[in-house]
Amino acid sequence: MADRLFALFALIAGGIYTYVAFFIIKAPFQYDPLGPETWPQVLAVVFLLCSLYVLVRPDHIQFALGRSVWLRLLMLVVMLGGYAELYEPLGFVISTALFCCLLSVMLGANRLHSVAFGCATGIIGYGICDYLLGLNLPEGLLAPFL
Amino acid sequence: MNEVLSGLSGGFGVALMPLNLFLVLIGCFAGTLIGALPGIGPINGVAILLPIAYSLGLPPESALILLAGIYYGAEYGGRISSILLNVPGDAGAVMTTLDGNPMAKRGEAGRALSISAIASFVGGTIAVILMSLFGPFLAKFALTFTPADYVALMVFAFASLSSLVGKNQVKTLMGAAIGLMLATVGIDANTGVARYTGGIPDILAGFDFLVVVIGFFGMAELIHLVEQQISGKLKLLPIGKSFVSWKDLMQIRWTMLRSSIIGFVIGVLPGVGASVASAVTYGTEMRMAGEDRKKFGTGDPRGLAAPESGNNAAAGGAMVPMLTLGIPGSGTTAILLGALMLFNVTPGPLMFEQRPEIAWGLIASMYIGNLALLVINLPLVGLFARMLTIPQKYLSPLIAVLAFIGVYSVVGNPFDLFLIIAFGIFGWVLRKLEFSLAPIILGFVLGHLFEDNLRRALSISRGDWSILVSTWESIGLYVMAVLIVALPVIIGIRNRRKAK
Repeated sequence: MADRLFALFALIAGGIYTYVAFFIIKAPFQYDPLGPETWPQVLAVVFLLCSLYVLVRPDHIQFALGRSVWLRLLMLVVMLGGYAELYEPLGFVISTALFCCLLSVMLGANRLHSVAFGCATGIIGYGICDYLLGLNLPEGLLAPFL
Repeated sequence: MNEVLSGLSGGFGVALMPLNLFLVLIGCFAGTLIGALPGIGPINGVAILLPIAYSLGLPPESALILLAGIYYGAEYGGRISSILLNVPGDAGAVMTTLDGNPMAKRGEAGRALSISAIASFVGGTIAVILMSLFGPFLAKFALTFTPADYVALMVFAFASLSSLVGKNQVKTLMGAAIGLMLATVGIDANTGVARYTGGIPDILAGFDFLVVVIGFFGMAELIHLVEQQISGKLKLLPIGKSFVSWKDLMQIRWTMLRSSIIGFVIGVLPGVGASVASAVTYGTEMRMAGEDRKKFGTGDPRGLAAPESGNNAAAGGAMVPMLTLGIPGSGTTAILLGALMLFNVTPGPLMFEQRPEIAWGLIASMYIGNLALLVINLPLVGLFARMLTIPQKYLSPLIAVLAFIGVYSVVGNPFDLFLIIAFGIFGWVLRKLEFSLAPIILGFVLGHLFEDNLRRALSISRGDWSILVSTWESIGLYVMAVLIVALPVIIGIRNRRKAK
């Protein structure tokens, strides 16, 4: 069932890809016999054939996850999205501390440990990356102090 | 032969420079640590650390030496969790659990760890020796390759990939197609036409290699770990005082030699890496054992040594096509290949002549790295084993933090952070559906090369497609491609008939 559903999605996405390959991509002028559209056309055909095969002969796959697992994954994705969104505005130290703290709480750490863990990761991580390795990380709110 | 020796001496000159020597040791050490972490295999380790290694501003040969050290270090480290926890770090370490864990349960964990360390060392070293002997010749042969031959080579690579990797061949092929399709996004270099960019300026230059790698191998792994969330405590078996004996070594010497050679050959095949090698070598040894085969699976040293020699030899073997042909032999070497491209080094037959410091430097560093791994693994195994006790609740956030640092520090575009999350979710779904992710990254890395060679071949022939089968090399490769796909099918049908 999960496989069929996926194959259906793949057919739709592959269909769009194919349409673009055959009708949209055009070079204004070209010297070579193969233009920018040929290669995507070849791939599109291979991909559609594979999707059709999976649709007709799907594997039996257990995709069923408990509700708590779905919830946990949803929260993870939300946290990751928030982390990405706040990465530049808040800066590495604060956003990392927040993210690590929240995620470790969700995964079962107690509050005190998770706060300590979050702050330590943010500060030590910045120290190692910025001062020791010379990597470029966002300073954000703490810019005046770093 | 002279050429090999002079190449090697030049290579050791590079590898023994203090910075590179330091990087080999750091890479091996960090690799073992990462490999020992539960659930994180070599490919994830290399993927997560690649952008950081890239942005350190090292010269290409040094960065590659570091990454390669992490790669085979992680192959070493993977055995620790297999033996002590019965949890393989990646597919290549599954076979190690079969005999390694029973030994540890008997209280011989120390013996199991030292046997596997020596078997890994033998596998890794034999692979490097074979690599230094055959690499330059393969490179010389590949120099004569025309664009049409490259197209044939690529077809062969994807054929062997889909025939030997993953449970479902069609899905492996589909994965490769997904990777190739992802590579078509962005402005076409030949004509300047934008393809599949949807008007989003951030992807006009195409998806960044690092973003794809981190998404599929860092974030997808993170989501997988959180989904599994190993609840309750895993029982870590004590290492104890037992150690490998002379008798053990005598018992496994031929096993190690055979498995190393088989592993190397499997590793050289494009697209096929350590997981196939360890399964094949284990099966071979079991068949060779005859009456003794009942002992396999109950803690037989041979059953432990075979997959360990095999997968380490395959890890070395996979480097050969990457260095000589520019076609990676496994998912992890695909990442190393991408890393070289980030440095504007095009791996391929010319590398041995034009950039000997990279090709030979890397090979020489692998001799040193293997020795270093043996030396640090025997006494320090207790320290690495402690990595296993790092709770998941702290490990998971750290993976995300490392992935974000890596992606942000290279490009500095917050849009990429969202992209890696999206790729991560996509990769996780594919994994749930039993897709293997390595073909995707291979497809992505080879996408441009494949397309460029096809277009070049056809512009040489002015649009005549018969150029694709105009040389013996290409015909041979197509024949091999057909064989490698057809043989397993034919053997399967035969076995079924026999069973009836």
